[in-house]
Amino acid sequence: MCDSCGCDLPTDHDHNHEHAPEIIKVHQSLLAANDAIAAENKAHFEAMGIVAINMISSPGSGKTTLLEKTIERLKGKIRIGVIEGDIETDRDAQRIRAKGVPVVQMTTGGACHLDAAQIHKGLHLLEKEPGGDKLDLLFIENVGNLVCPATFDLGEHQRVVLVSVPEGPDKPAKYPKAFISSQIFVITKIDLLPYFDFPVAEAKADALHLNPRLQVMALSATSGEGFEAWIDYLEAVMR
Amino acid sequence: MHEMSLVQALLAQLATLAAEHNKKRVITVTLDIGPLSGVVIDSFQFGFDILSAENSLTREAKLIIINPPATYQCIRCGHRQSSLVRPDHCPECDETLLIPEGGDGIILNQVEME
Ligand SMILES: Nc1nc2c(ncn2[C@@H]2O[C@H](COP(=O)(O)OP(=O)(O)OP(=O)(O)O)[C@@H](O)[C@H]2O)c(=O)[nH]1
Ligand SMILES: [Mg+2]
Repeated sequence: MCDSCGCDLPTDHDHNHEHAPEIIKVHQSLLAANDAIAAENKAHFEAMGIVAINMISSPGSGKTTLLEKTIERLKGKIRIGVIEGDIETDRDAQRIRAKGVPVVQMTTGGACHLDAAQIHKGLHLLEKEPGGDKLDLLFIENVGNLVCPATFDLGEHQRVVLVSVPEGPDKPAKYPKAFISSQIFVITKIDLLPYFDFPVAEAKADALHLNPRLQVMALSATSGEGFEAWIDYLEAVMR
Repeated sequence: MHEMSLVQALLAQLATLAAEHNKKRVITVTLDIGPLSGVVIDSFQFGFDILSAENSLTREAKLIIINPPATYQCIRCGHRQSSLVRPDHCPECDETLLIPEGGDGIILNQVEME
Protein backbone atom coordinates (compact mmCIF):
# COMPACT_ATOMS: atom_id res chain seq x y z
CA MET A 1 0.00 0.00 0.00
CA CYS A 2 1.16 3.51 -0.76
CA ASP A 3 2.20 5.33 2.44
CA SER A 4 1.46 8.78 1.08
CA CYS A 5 -2.15 8.41 0.06
CA GLY A 6 -3.21 5.00 1.29
CA CYS A 7 -4.08 3.55 -2.13
CA ASP A 8 -3.01 0.16 -3.33
CA LEU A 9 -1.09 1.23 -6.41
CA PRO A 10 2.72 0.77 -6.45
CA THR A 11 4.52 3.48 -4.42
CA ASP A 12 6.02 5.33 -7.39
CA HIS A 13 2.78 6.89 -8.75
CA ASP A 14 1.42 10.42 -8.75
CA HIS A 15 -0.48 10.98 -5.47
CA ASN A 16 -2.73 13.55 -7.08
CA HIS A 17 -5.16 10.99 -8.31
CA GLU A 18 -8.87 10.86 -7.60
CA HIS A 19 -9.18 9.29 -4.15
CA ALA A 20 -6.64 11.38 -2.26
CA PRO A 21 -8.61 13.20 0.46
CA GLU A 22 -8.36 16.90 -0.15
CA ILE A 23 -9.84 19.96 1.52
CA ILE A 24 -11.25 22.36 -1.00
CA LYS A 25 -11.97 25.91 0.16
CA VAL A 26 -15.11 27.14 -1.52
CA HIS A 27 -16.65 30.08 0.32
CA GLN A 28 -19.68 30.34 -1.93
CA SER A 29 -23.26 31.09 -0.94
CA LEU A 30 -25.79 28.30 -1.42
CA LEU A 31 -27.89 31.04 -2.94
CA ALA A 32 -25.20 31.89 -5.51
CA ALA A 33 -27.08 30.24 -8.39
CA ASN A 34 -30.35 31.95 -7.39
CA ASP A 35 -28.63 35.30 -6.88
CA ALA A 36 -26.94 35.17 -10.28
CA ILE A 37 -30.33 34.72 -11.96
CA ALA A 38 -31.80 37.44 -9.71
CA ALA A 39 -29.09 39.82 -10.94
CA GLU A 40 -30.02 38.95 -14.54
CA ASN A 41 -33.69 39.57 -13.77
CA LYS A 42 -32.83 42.95 -12.29
CA ALA A 43 -30.74 43.90 -15.35
CA HIS A 44 -33.68 42.85 -17.51
CA PHE A 45 -36.12 44.99 -15.46
CA GLU A 46 -33.81 47.98 -15.80
CA ALA A 47 -33.33 47.52 -19.53
CA MET A 48 -37.13 47.43 -19.91
CA GLY A 49 -37.70 50.38 -17.55
CA ILE A 50 -39.72 48.22 -15.14
CA VAL A 51 -39.93 48.71 -11.37
CA ALA A 52 -40.45 45.29 -9.74
CA ILE A 53 -42.10 44.79 -6.34
CA ASN A 54 -42.04 41.47 -4.47
CA MET A 55 -44.99 41.02 -2.07
CA ILE A 56 -44.55 38.69 0.89
CA SER A 57 -47.11 37.71 3.53
CA SER A 58 -48.84 34.78 5.20
CA PRO A 59 -51.72 33.18 3.27
CA GLY A 60 -54.74 35.46 3.12
CA SER A 61 -53.21 38.73 4.33
CA GLY A 62 -54.76 40.53 1.40
CA LYS A 63 -52.05 40.63 -1.28
CA THR A 64 -54.33 39.91 -4.24
CA THR A 65 -57.06 42.21 -2.94
CA LEU A 66 -54.56 45.06 -2.59
CA LEU A 67 -53.35 44.40 -6.15
CA GLU A 68 -56.93 44.42 -7.48
CA LYS A 69 -57.60 47.80 -5.86
CA THR A 70 -54.24 49.16 -6.98
CA ILE A 71 -54.91 48.16 -10.58
CA GLU A 72 -58.40 49.72 -10.47
CA ARG A 73 -56.84 52.92 -9.23
CA LEU A 74 -53.79 53.16 -11.52
CA LYS A 75 -55.00 51.51 -14.73
CA GLY A 76 -54.64 53.81 -17.71
CA LYS A 77 -51.97 55.85 -15.94
CA ILE A 78 -49.36 53.17 -15.21
CA ARG A 79 -48.82 49.97 -17.18
CA ILE A 80 -49.01 47.21 -14.57
CA GLY A 81 -48.15 43.51 -14.93
CA VAL A 82 -48.36 40.75 -12.34
CA ILE A 83 -46.57 37.46 -11.74
CA GLU A 84 -48.60 35.34 -9.35
CA GLY A 85 -46.95 32.64 -7.25
CA ASP A 86 -48.97 29.88 -5.65
CA ILE A 87 -48.43 26.26 -4.81
CA GLU A 88 -51.52 25.25 -6.78
CA THR A 89 -54.29 26.82 -8.95
CA ASP A 90 -54.44 29.93 -11.12
CA ARG A 91 -57.19 31.54 -9.04
CA ASP A 92 -55.20 34.64 -8.17
CA ALA A 93 -54.18 35.09 -11.82
CA GLN A 94 -57.85 34.85 -12.81
CA ARG A 95 -58.72 37.60 -10.33
CA ILE A 96 -55.98 39.84 -11.73
CA ARG A 97 -56.86 39.03 -15.36
CA ALA A 98 -60.43 40.13 -14.63
CA LYS A 99 -58.97 43.58 -13.93
CA GLY A 100 -57.60 43.68 -17.48
CA VAL A 101 -53.84 43.64 -16.95
CA PRO A 102 -51.26 41.10 -18.18
CA VAL A 103 -50.67 38.35 -15.65
CA VAL A 104 -49.03 34.94 -15.46
CA GLN A 105 -49.48 32.31 -12.80
CA MET A 106 -46.42 30.39 -11.65
CA THR A 107 -47.36 27.28 -9.70
CA THR A 108 -44.53 25.94 -7.61
CA GLY A 109 -46.01 22.44 -7.24
CA GLY A 110 -45.31 22.25 -3.52
CA ALA A 111 -42.43 24.66 -3.05
CA CYS A 112 -43.13 27.28 -0.40
CA HIS A 113 -41.55 30.24 -2.25
CA LEU A 114 -40.76 31.68 -5.67
CA ASP A 115 -37.15 31.68 -6.81
CA ALA A 116 -35.30 33.80 -9.34
CA ALA A 117 -35.46 31.14 -12.07
CA GLN A 118 -39.27 31.07 -11.85
CA ILE A 119 -39.37 34.85 -12.25
CA HIS A 120 -37.08 34.61 -15.28
CA LYS A 121 -39.48 32.10 -16.81
CA GLY A 122 -42.49 34.15 -15.71
CA LEU A 123 -41.11 37.27 -17.39
CA HIS A 124 -40.84 35.51 -20.73
CA LEU A 125 -44.37 34.15 -20.39
CA LEU A 126 -45.63 37.61 -19.43
CA GLU A 127 -44.05 39.11 -22.56
CA LYS A 128 -46.32 36.88 -24.64
CA GLU A 129 -49.47 38.25 -22.95
CA PRO A 130 -51.14 41.24 -24.60
CA GLY A 131 -49.39 44.35 -23.22
CA GLY A 132 -46.97 42.22 -21.19
CA ASP A 133 -43.94 43.39 -23.14
CA LYS A 134 -44.36 47.06 -22.18
CA LEU A 135 -44.70 47.58 -18.44
CA ASP A 136 -43.87 50.29 -15.94
CA LEU A 137 -44.61 48.33 -12.78
CA LEU A 138 -44.39 44.60 -12.13
CA PHE A 139 -45.91 43.11 -9.02
CA ILE A 140 -44.73 39.68 -7.96
CA GLU A 141 -47.19 38.11 -5.52
CA ASN A 142 -45.14 35.50 -3.71
CA VAL A 143 -46.50 32.24 -2.30
CA GLY A 144 -48.48 32.93 0.89
CA ASN A 145 -45.78 32.28 3.50
CA LEU A 146 -44.03 34.68 5.85
CA VAL A 147 -40.88 32.57 6.20
CA CYS A 148 -39.43 30.97 3.08
CA PRO A 149 -39.90 33.68 0.41
CA ALA A 150 -37.73 36.05 2.48
CA THR A 151 -34.59 34.04 1.68
CA PHE A 152 -34.87 34.23 -2.12
CA ASP A 153 -33.89 37.37 -4.00
CA LEU A 154 -35.93 37.59 -7.19
CA GLY A 155 -34.12 40.65 -8.58
CA GLU A 156 -36.89 42.96 -7.33
CA HIS A 157 -36.34 46.64 -6.58
CA GLN A 158 -38.63 46.72 -3.58
CA ARG A 159 -39.84 44.09 -1.17
CA VAL A 160 -43.12 44.63 0.63
CA VAL A 161 -44.13 42.59 3.68
CA LEU A 162 -47.81 42.59 4.64
CA VAL A 163 -49.53 41.58 7.88
CA SER A 164 -53.30 41.73 8.28
CA VAL A 165 -55.01 42.83 11.48
CA PRO A 166 -56.53 39.37 12.25
CA GLU A 167 -53.03 37.82 12.29
CA GLY A 168 -52.00 39.79 15.38
CA PRO A 169 -49.26 42.33 16.05
CA ASP A 170 -46.52 39.85 17.01
CA LYS A 171 -45.64 38.80 13.46
CA PRO A 172 -42.55 41.04 13.09
CA ALA A 173 -41.09 39.66 16.31
CA LYS A 174 -41.87 36.05 15.35
CA TYR A 175 -40.86 36.15 11.67
CA PRO A 176 -37.97 38.63 11.62
CA LYS A 177 -36.32 37.78 8.30
CA ALA A 178 -39.17 39.07 6.12
CA PHE A 179 -39.09 42.39 7.98
CA ILE A 180 -35.31 42.71 7.94
CA SER A 181 -35.17 42.14 4.19
CA SER A 182 -38.09 44.38 3.17
CA GLN A 183 -38.23 48.10 2.44
CA ILE A 184 -41.88 48.54 3.33
CA PHE A 185 -44.27 47.01 5.83
CA VAL A 186 -47.99 47.29 5.11
CA ILE A 187 -50.53 46.53 7.83
CA THR A 188 -53.69 45.47 5.98
CA LYS A 189 -57.40 45.14 6.82
CA ILE A 190 -57.41 48.04 9.29
CA ASP A 191 -61.22 48.22 8.86
CA LEU A 192 -61.13 45.20 11.24
CA LEU A 193 -59.28 47.03 14.04
CA PRO A 194 -62.48 47.41 16.13
CA TYR A 195 -62.82 43.60 16.30
CA PHE A 196 -59.24 42.55 17.00
CA ASP A 197 -56.63 43.37 19.59
CA PHE A 198 -54.01 44.77 17.23
CA PRO A 199 -52.06 47.71 18.67
CA VAL A 200 -50.74 49.24 15.43
CA ALA A 201 -48.05 51.22 17.29
CA GLU A 202 -46.70 48.03 18.88
CA ALA A 203 -46.47 46.15 15.57
CA LYS A 204 -44.78 49.17 14.04
CA ALA A 205 -42.29 49.51 16.90
CA ASP A 206 -41.40 45.79 16.73
CA ALA A 207 -40.82 46.03 13.00
CA LEU A 208 -38.67 49.15 13.33
CA HIS A 209 -36.71 47.49 16.11
CA LEU A 210 -35.75 44.79 13.59
CA ASN A 211 -35.19 47.16 10.70
CA PRO A 212 -35.00 50.88 11.51
CA ARG A 213 -35.05 51.75 7.80
CA LEU A 214 -38.45 50.11 7.18
CA GLN A 215 -41.24 52.35 5.91
CA VAL A 216 -44.52 51.42 7.64
CA MET A 217 -48.09 52.08 6.55
CA ALA A 218 -51.54 50.81 7.53
CA LEU A 219 -54.49 50.52 5.16
CA SER A 220 -57.74 48.82 4.30
CA ALA A 221 -58.27 47.66 0.74
CA THR A 222 -62.00 47.41 1.36
CA SER A 223 -62.71 50.76 3.05
CA GLY A 224 -59.91 52.62 1.25
CA GLU A 225 -58.56 54.08 4.48
CA GLY A 226 -54.79 54.64 4.25
CA PHE A 227 -54.79 53.68 0.58
CA GLU A 228 -53.45 57.05 -0.60
CA ALA A 229 -50.15 56.51 1.26
CA TRP A 230 -49.71 53.25 -0.68
CA ILE A 231 -50.37 54.99 -4.00
CA ASP A 232 -47.94 57.77 -3.01
CA TYR A 233 -45.33 55.15 -2.21
CA LEU A 234 -45.81 53.46 -5.61
CA GLU A 235 -45.57 56.78 -7.40
CA ALA A 236 -42.39 57.59 -5.45
CA VAL A 237 -40.64 54.32 -6.32
CA MET A 238 -41.50 54.79 -10.00
CA ARG A 239 -39.78 58.15 -10.20
CA MET B 1 -39.33 24.12 4.42
CA HIS B 2 -37.22 26.14 1.99
CA GLU B 3 -34.31 24.30 3.60
CA MET B 4 -34.96 21.48 1.10
CA SER B 5 -34.31 23.89 -1.80
CA LEU B 6 -31.10 25.01 -0.13
CA VAL B 7 -29.96 21.41 0.39
CA GLN B 8 -30.62 20.77 -3.32
CA ALA B 9 -28.48 23.81 -4.17
CA LEU B 10 -25.73 22.47 -1.90
CA LEU B 11 -25.81 19.02 -3.52
CA ALA B 12 -25.62 20.60 -6.97
CA GLN B 13 -22.55 22.60 -5.90
CA LEU B 14 -20.93 19.46 -4.43
CA ALA B 15 -21.51 17.55 -7.68
CA THR B 16 -19.87 20.37 -9.66
CA LEU B 17 -16.89 20.52 -7.29
CA ALA B 18 -16.44 16.74 -7.37
CA ALA B 19 -16.42 16.77 -11.17
CA GLU B 20 -13.96 19.68 -11.28
CA HIS B 21 -11.55 18.02 -8.85
CA ASN B 22 -12.12 14.49 -10.06
CA LYS B 23 -13.37 13.22 -6.68
CA LYS B 24 -15.76 10.37 -5.92
CA ARG B 25 -16.75 10.81 -2.29
CA VAL B 26 -17.51 13.72 -0.01
CA ILE B 27 -16.18 13.23 3.53
CA THR B 28 -17.12 16.47 5.28
CA VAL B 29 -18.99 19.62 4.24
CA THR B 30 -18.54 22.79 6.30
CA LEU B 31 -21.19 25.50 6.11
CA ASP B 32 -21.58 28.89 7.77
CA ILE B 33 -25.26 29.61 8.46
CA GLY B 34 -25.86 33.04 10.00
CA PRO B 35 -28.49 33.69 12.70
CA LEU B 36 -30.41 36.04 10.36
CA SER B 37 -30.35 33.71 7.37
CA GLY B 38 -33.87 32.44 8.02
CA VAL B 39 -32.60 28.86 7.96
CA VAL B 40 -33.69 26.39 10.61
CA ILE B 41 -30.54 24.37 11.14
CA ASP B 42 -32.36 21.21 12.25
CA SER B 43 -34.53 21.32 9.12
CA PHE B 44 -31.44 21.79 6.99
CA GLN B 45 -29.73 18.83 8.62
CA PHE B 46 -32.89 16.74 8.19
CA GLY B 47 -33.09 17.64 4.49
CA PHE B 48 -29.40 16.89 4.05
CA ASP B 49 -29.72 13.47 5.71
CA ILE B 50 -32.51 12.52 3.33
CA LEU B 51 -31.22 13.94 0.07
CA SER B 52 -27.52 13.16 0.57
CA ALA B 53 -28.35 9.46 0.93
CA GLU B 54 -29.67 9.41 -2.64
CA ASN B 55 -26.25 9.32 -4.31
CA SER B 56 -22.89 7.69 -3.72
CA LEU B 57 -21.01 11.01 -3.80
CA THR B 58 -22.60 12.28 -0.60
CA ARG B 59 -24.00 9.15 1.05
CA GLU B 60 -21.41 9.14 3.85
CA ALA B 61 -20.83 12.88 4.02
CA LYS B 62 -20.81 14.56 7.40
CA LEU B 63 -22.29 18.03 7.68
CA ILE B 64 -20.54 20.56 9.93
CA ILE B 65 -22.58 23.71 10.50
CA ILE B 66 -20.98 26.80 11.97
CA ASN B 67 -23.27 29.54 13.23
CA PRO B 68 -21.31 32.83 13.13
CA PRO B 69 -22.77 35.85 14.97
CA ALA B 70 -24.25 38.95 13.31
CA THR B 71 -23.02 42.49 13.98
CA TYR B 72 -25.50 45.12 15.21
CA GLN B 73 -24.79 48.79 14.81
CA CYS B 74 -26.55 51.37 16.98
CA ILE B 75 -28.53 53.88 14.94
CA ARG B 76 -27.75 56.67 17.45
CA CYS B 77 -24.11 56.35 18.59
CA GLY B 78 -22.78 53.91 15.98
CA HIS B 79 -21.53 51.40 18.57
CA ARG B 80 -21.20 47.90 17.11
CA GLN B 81 -21.72 44.61 18.92
CA SER B 82 -21.55 41.06 17.75
CA SER B 83 -24.24 38.61 18.85
CA LEU B 84 -26.04 35.40 17.95
CA VAL B 85 -29.33 36.71 19.32
CA ARG B 86 -30.68 40.17 18.63
CA PRO B 87 -29.60 42.52 21.45
CA ASP B 88 -32.43 44.53 23.05
CA HIS B 89 -30.47 47.76 23.25
CA CYS B 90 -27.11 49.45 22.74
CA PRO B 91 -24.83 48.89 25.76
CA GLU B 92 -23.34 52.38 25.26
CA CYS B 93 -26.39 54.62 24.92
CA ASP B 94 -29.43 52.37 25.52
CA GLU B 95 -30.90 53.05 22.06
CA THR B 96 -33.16 50.17 20.95
CA LEU B 97 -32.86 50.69 17.19
CA LEU B 98 -29.92 48.59 16.02
CA ILE B 99 -29.15 47.83 12.39
CA PRO B 100 -28.01 44.27 11.69
CA GLU B 101 -25.03 43.76 9.40
CA GLY B 102 -24.24 40.38 7.94
CA GLY B 103 -25.38 37.26 9.75
CA ASP B 104 -27.67 36.34 6.84
CA GLY B 105 -25.17 34.22 4.92
CA ILE B 106 -25.70 30.58 3.96
CA ILE B 107 -22.19 29.79 2.83
CA LEU B 108 -20.51 26.61 1.65
CA ASN B 109 -17.15 27.14 3.26
CA GLN B 110 -15.11 24.05 2.49
CA VAL B 111 -15.45 20.47 1.39
CA GLU B 112 -13.27 17.50 2.13
CA MET B 113 -13.43 15.03 -0.76
CA GLU B 114 -11.57 12.02 -2.05
N1 LIG C 1 -62.06 43.18 5.97
C1 LIG C 1 -61.13 43.11 5.03
N2 LIG C 1 -60.95 41.98 4.36
C2 LIG C 1 -59.99 41.95 3.40
C3 LIG C 1 -59.18 43.07 3.09
N3 LIG C 1 -58.30 42.73 2.12
C4 LIG C 1 -58.55 41.44 1.83
N4 LIG C 1 -59.58 40.96 2.60
C5 LIG C 1 -60.12 39.59 2.57
O1 LIG C 1 -59.14 38.66 3.00
C6 LIG C 1 -59.27 37.44 2.30
C7 LIG C 1 -57.94 37.07 1.66
O2 LIG C 1 -57.58 38.07 0.72
P1 LIG C 1 -56.59 37.81 -0.48
O3 LIG C 1 -56.39 39.12 -1.15
O4 LIG C 1 -57.04 36.68 -1.31
O5 LIG C 1 -55.27 37.39 0.29
P2 LIG C 1 -53.88 36.88 -0.29
O6 LIG C 1 -52.83 37.44 0.59
O7 LIG C 1 -53.78 37.21 -1.73
O8 LIG C 1 -54.00 35.30 -0.09
P3 LIG C 1 -53.05 34.13 -0.69
O9 LIG C 1 -52.73 34.50 -2.10
O10 LIG C 1 -53.88 32.92 -0.57
O11 LIG C 1 -51.85 34.11 0.20
C8 LIG C 1 -60.39 37.65 1.28
O12 LIG C 1 -61.54 37.08 1.76
C9 LIG C 1 -60.49 39.16 1.17
O13 LIG C 1 -61.77 39.59 0.82
C10 LIG C 1 -59.44 44.30 3.82
O14 LIG C 1 -58.79 45.34 3.63
N5 LIG C 1 -60.39 44.24 4.77
MG1 LIG D 1 -53.34 35.93 -3.31
